[in-house]
Order: sequence, then structure tokens, then C-alpha cells
Amino acid sequence: MLELLPPLNDHNLPWMDTIHPIVVHFVIAMALIGFVFDLIGVLWRRPALFEASFWNLLFATGAIFVVIIFGQVEAGLASPYGAARNILDIHTTIGWSLAGVLSLLTGWRYVLRSRDPEALPLSFLGAGALVSALIMVQVVLGDKLIWTYGLHTVKVVAATREGLI
Amino acid sequence: MLVQAMALAYSPEATPIDQIAGELGPNGLPYALPIHPNLVHLTIGLFVIAIAFDVVGALYPLEKRVFRFLALPITRGGFHDVGWYNLLACCLVTFFTVASGFYEMLTAVPLPGVVSTFGLGSMTTMLWHGVGGVLLLTVITAMTVWRGFQRYLWRRDMGRQVQWLYLLVGLGMFALLGLHGTLGAQLAAEFGVHIAADQLLQAGADLHTALP
Repeated sequence: MLELLPPLNDHNLPWMDTIHPIVVHFVIAMALIGFVFDLIGVLWRRPALFEASFWNLLFATGAIFVVIIFGQVEAGLASPYGAARNILDIHTTIGWSLAGVLSLLTGWRYVLRSRDPEALPLSFLGAGALVSALIMVQVVLGDKLIWTYGLHTVKVVAATREGLI
Repeated sequence: MLVQAMALAYSPEATPIDQIAGELGPNGLPYALPIHPNLVHLTIGLFVIAIAFDVVGALYPLEKRVFRFLALPITRGGFHDVGWYNLLACCLVTFFTVASGFYEMLTAVPLPGVVSTFGLGSMTTMLWHGVGGVLLLTVITAMTVWRGFQRYLWRRDMGRQVQWLYLLVGLGMFALLGLHGTLGAQLAAEFGVHIAADQLLQAGADLHTALP
């Protein structure tokens, strides 16, 4: 059965390079800018920004499920070592949690928008700030996996295959 | 003789990075995690979604029934709001993306002897990525000005807020961004630039003790 799986390259991946960090652009950028637009929209009274924020949030919520699928596959093909094992566990847990949190936030926003698209309660802004903070923590953890521990980089994969790590 | 002299002129004994090497961490930076790749999330995400929503706004007559079926209240102007504000934010952020990119490229020490999937060496990859970054910033800025003229002057009273040519240029930029991003990814994953583990391995360190 194993021979039916595609061969792995020097990144230990069946495709050219990691896809998770590419798709994750659309969660990080859209969710964070959604909060920034909400903040500016409230402070400067620009309802057009609320509409832009709603669509960004909706897109981020759709994208996070694709991000998780690739994240799980690529995490499974990584060989975390040392503290990277713990970091990957926490990154995975927060990642799945964020899917739920973003879905709830988008559902709440959908109701708010249906009632009055030109107003935004401060409670939603507060929730947006908390979720943005959680996303930033998640980004730092993901960054550590790549930039500190080098998971899926050619050098680390080669060292792992040679039994050096 | 002249060639030999020129070659010598371009072979300094110590590279400039040695002047600050003592202040840098194992990743070759004075801080733990690189800034440029994080700002790249914003540049790429905001640009792609800006153009995508302008495409959705432009094709609105075809989609009306779908959104009605989904019971999702929409306005064409709302899609174009995303197109405009996301591009404006992208333009502002990208100045910092490029600036941090240059700082981190000046402090980059790629792994020696590596040839990328594209068949390029590290210096060639960095040169293309650096020049390409400035080119992309120029195009993004020009497109933001262009988009602003369309929104506030030329097409202010029109349902479709953007010209077809604008969308075409935007879609062309997707290809350029993809290529450019791949060069950046190769600098990290293949050339080990600013990746602590890769640099430590190159220095002969044992990661079990160096990165516990």
C-alpha cells in the first residue's frame, strides 16, 4: 500500500514546497485587516470599512479549513525534534481552536450585519482584538517551527535522514 | 593582468557582515524571528483578495442569483469596497515589507554550494528577489493610484468600479507574486537564510544541544 503514496522530495513533501504557509496568508492577512478596518471604521465613522471587514473575516474563516488540511498533512510529514514537538502540538491545538473561534465570530458578525450594516458594537471590537492577539501568538509559534527549527527545510530534512537530529 | 587586478578588487578579506556578526543570533539576525516573511503574509493576502473582490464586483450581474439563493445580503459597492481598502492597506504595508526584506537580505548568509530548484545560486536568487520586490512595490503603488482614480473620479457613478484592463493587470500580478514568492521561499527552505537550525547545522553544531 505504501508504494501507492507519492514519493517525497528533499523537503520531505510530495509537492514542491510547503503549501500551509502560503494558504495561511489568507487567514492572517484577512483576519487581522478585518479587525483594523473595524477599529478605523468605528473611530472615523466609516461604515464602508465594516463591509470590507465582514468579507475579509468571511474569507479568513473559509481559508482556515484549507490551511488546517495542509497543516495537518505537512505536520505529519515533518520530523519535529526537541522543543519543536511541543510547539507543533500547541500550534495544532490553537489552529483547530481558531477554526471554531473564527466561525463563531463570523456567525456573530453575519447577524450584526443583517441587523444594521452601518453599526458595530464595542463588544465585537473587543472580541476581534482578542482573536487578533490569538492569531499573532499562533503566527509566532508557526514562525518558530520554520525559522528556528527549520522544519521541512532541505538542510534539516537531510540531517534528519542522516540520523543527525 | 587587468582581469586579475579586478578580481582582487572585488575580493575583500572580510565580508561587511563580519563587522556586526558578534551582535547577531544563530539565525543571523539581532532578533529571534525574521520580520519580512510575516509582512509578506499581509502583502500577498491583501493584494490577492483586493483583486479577487474587484473581479467578483465586476462580474456581479452573473452572481446575483447565487447570493440571493444563499440569503446573503450583498451590494456590488461592498465588493468594490474590499477591492479598494485592501489594496490601499496592501500598498501601505508593502513599503515595510520591502524595507524589512532589504535589511534581512543585507544580513543574509546563504548556505554555500546550494543550487535552487530553479537552478540558480543564492546570490542570483537574492538579486532577483530584491529587484523584483522593488518592482512589485512600484506596480502595487501605481495600481493603488490607478484604483483610487477609478473609484473617486473616472467611474464614481458606475456600477462596475474598475476597468477590465485593471483586473487583467491584477491577474498578471498574481503570476509575478507567485514567482517572486517562490524565490523568497527558496531563500529560506533551500538556502537556509535566517533559519537558525540550518545555520547551526552548517556550523557543525548538534541540534539536540544547540536547539533543545
